[in-house]
Amino acid sequence: MIHRLISRSLIIGMMWLGLSLLNLGSLKNQLHWQALAFTVIVLLGSLIEGISRYQGDPFILPTVQAIMALGLVFVVRISPEAALRQFWWANIGLLTFYAVLWLVRDYRQLGRFRYFWGLLAVGLLLVTLLFGSTAGGATSWLQVGGIGIEPEEFVKLALLLFMATYLEENEELLRVGTVQWGRFSLPDWRTLGPFMIMVVFVLGILAAQKSLGAALVFYMLFVLMIYVVTERALYLGLSLPIFLMTGSLGYLLFKHVRVRVMVWMNPWQDPTGMGYQIAQSLFAIGGGKILGTGLGNGIGASTVPAAGTDFIFSVIAEELGFAGAMAVLVLFLIVVMRAFVISLRAKDRFGQILAAGIGILLGTETLIILAGVTKLLPLTGIPLPWVSYGGSSLIVHSILLGILLNISQATAGGSQGSKNKGREYAT
Amino acid sequence: MRRGVRRVALGMAFSFFVLSLGLVYWQVVQADTLLENTSNRRLILMESRVTRGGFFDRNGEIIAQTQISQGKKVRVYPKGEMFEPLIGYSTVKLGASGLEGSSADWLLGIKNATPTQTVQQLFALPRQGDDVVLTLDSRLQSIAYNALKGKMGAAVAIDPRTGEVLALVSQPSFDPTNLEQNWNDIVSRKQERPLENHAFSLFPPGSTMKVVTSAALFRSGLNTTNLYDSTGSAVINGQVITEQNGESFGWINYNMALAHSCNAYFATYGVQAGDKKFLEAVKGFGFGQKIPFELNVPTSSITKAEKIPATLSTNLLAASAFGQGEVLVTPFHMALIAAGIANHGVIMTPHLVERVLDPAQTVIFEQQPQPWLSALTKEEADKITSAMVTAVTDGTAAPGALPDVQVAAKTGSAEPGGNVATHAWYIAFAPAEAPRIALAVMVEHGGTGGGAAAPIARQIMQEALSQKVGDK
Repeated sequence: MIHRLISRSLIIGMMWLGLSLLNLGSLKNQLHWQALAFTVIVLLGSLIEGISRYQGDPFILPTVQAIMALGLVFVVRISPEAALRQFWWANIGLLTFYAVLWLVRDYRQLGRFRYFWGLLAVGLLLVTLLFGSTAGGATSWLQVGGIGIEPEEFVKLALLLFMATYLEENEELLRVGTVQWGRFSLPDWRTLGPFMIMVVFVLGILAAQKSLGAALVFYMLFVLMIYVVTERALYLGLSLPIFLMTGSLGYLLFKHVRVRVMVWMNPWQDPTGMGYQIAQSLFAIGGGKILGTGLGNGIGASTVPAAGTDFIFSVIAEELGFAGAMAVLVLFLIVVMRAFVISLRAKDRFGQILAAGIGILLGTETLIILAGVTKLLPLTGIPLPWVSYGGSSLIVHSILLGILLNISQATAGGSQGSKNKGREYAT
Repeated sequence: MRRGVRRVALGMAFSFFVLSLGLVYWQVVQADTLLENTSNRRLILMESRVTRGGFFDRNGEIIAQTQISQGKKVRVYPKGEMFEPLIGYSTVKLGASGLEGSSADWLLGIKNATPTQTVQQLFALPRQGDDVVLTLDSRLQSIAYNALKGKMGAAVAIDPRTGEVLALVSQPSFDPTNLEQNWNDIVSRKQERPLENHAFSLFPPGSTMKVVTSAALFRSGLNTTNLYDSTGSAVINGQVITEQNGESFGWINYNMALAHSCNAYFATYGVQAGDKKFLEAVKGFGFGQKIPFELNVPTSSITKAEKIPATLSTNLLAASAFGQGEVLVTPFHMALIAAGIANHGVIMTPHLVERVLDPAQTVIFEQQPQPWLSALTKEEADKITSAMVTAVTDGTAAPGALPDVQVAAKTGSAEPGGNVATHAWYIAFAPAEAPRIALAVMVEHGGTGGGAAAPIARQIMQEALSQKVGDK
């Protein structure tokens, strides 16, 4: 209880320290009220956790709250106006998280809807394609009542749930395989069919939307979830040629993919034109050196395009330096690893698959955008979970967090009185 | 399932590790390369936020300062072109040169001197850059500038005990105020090269080289009291060595040979000493080496190659011994050579930055004197000093003599090649028994060292010694 409060207070303290160092301009009062609301929700939440005897994973929530606090400070630093909205979303996100944690009695109910999730995912994408507006070269925004939402983010949630239910149901078929082909036994088409259709459909739609980052995340999610459940390296092996084929097809068909790859290979050729984004990102990151320029001192916030969203990590790496960037990496690594721990401890198959899926989703999202801004991979714009500016992403990731801790809570609750047994299972 | 989860978790952890290596690459390995990329606007943006620090001379006089008038930052240079091109310039359009360029990190307050400051900078951007106090003395600089004005050439004065550069003038120069408007005009003066620091340009040293050759003569066992018969010319390996005006000095010892600048003496004994001894002596004085300094100074050389060769042909050795042949030296380096002799053979590392003050006027950096080279032993330095004193009392360097103070000096009239007037050189230090100032003056195509360069050197020394420069 005390530990819980102390850790939350530290996180909140860091956020206030960050805010006090920044020049907030005319929005100072409004931002302070919002930050106060955030503080109250975090502290009150931890109190209620104590009262309601929360027994789930103790590390994930403080870590995510630290990531959120850091993200808020940096969104404030980049644009106080945007931060005002971001604080709203963060507060709503935290409330959503607690709602999912406490109000969803049994997460297994989520598995009941089966194909509803699949249809929802496809439906959302179709609606975006038909009615969506274009921003930054990608058709991925939907205007509902004056608020722009990114259906992609909700598709992640729907797809994850669909995958988990589907894999739970067809695990054995996928694992054993029913068709002999040489030395390999492959699952038959009846099992793989809906699955493959899903893949092709989602990827096709995303290619049409030109949102490559999301397509890559979905593809990785598919492949890794199948691998985790079946433990057959064959799926990993199959995924590579499919990925390469899709990639080269995209390269040949779409000009924007070619540009992306060219810029990735050599951004210095045209650092003021097409290579501008990545070059500015690297200038920002490189300028941070070991200890960074200090909060509010960097140039990245004004020179890097999309500093608040896709490239927020570049700004963090500049102003907090290598030390701060590594801290962010470690925070994310903790969340991802704990998600896998929850998966290993979960009692039922659906919980295991879902928790592992959440871990995989968070891990791939983080890796893809961070590798993009550091030029390890071609840049594909996706938000950094809990950090980048954007309400949809924040809400969806809060829901994911809620589901994850719900699983963890249920596991701990189920093994009450026989704690050692749970531990045995985990190790 | 469990095995699958473990493997994927392992894969993720590994990927995060690779990602952190990527960060190391950009933030540590490539950080400076990125900073130098021409598309990187970091320094320009930093500059626009920070009020650039000022340059001050050793007595606190303003050399350059940024003033804010009507909300705009203006760089003012109260001394006009007196300190140019040494101080240089820094504008967004033209970039930076001189000390304005090489000290930019201090002036912008981004050079991290101590860990405490690094931590401080994490929380507050320096709005005001650091002030740089130079070792220069405006009074000496002004005298040297006025004496050289209208000529082409350079004058460098150094405190031989510490390596502090007291004055460094290059003529012609330019006015750094309103530089962007006058830029085309300045660049069009191609013959005069006002942007080039002539103190850092390479010239043949002429007879001033003989002080360096002396070291080789001593080390070959030459007895300085031995007499040599100067006949006005000498033939070495088929090459005819003549004196300045075809003069013959009769029977002369080492002191008289240096005082009268006898070419045949140094060529003959230089060849006798051999190329090994000569090249060794030359290396000891810093030829073929980068001079450790705040600004980039071209390396002085013996042959056309920048490095000192392993051997030298007899003819080239004979010519090099009295500073002709292919020998090239910067006036700055010549001043260091004079300073080395003055400081009993030890050349101190030259420096221009005396200390750096942060906006609160706390000293955050202070230059300590450090030896650079041991060119001579004390005995060798004493011998050369005594000969240089003879040159002033009874030789070619007489025009540089001061009434109350004993000056030690050597003249040079270097032939640049072609049918043009010789470069006039004068290296000196004073007082000879306890030198406080060493200098080199060079007037391009000025004629003889005694005629054109010595009066300038005398004025500088007189001012320096009357003001007790170098004593703080």
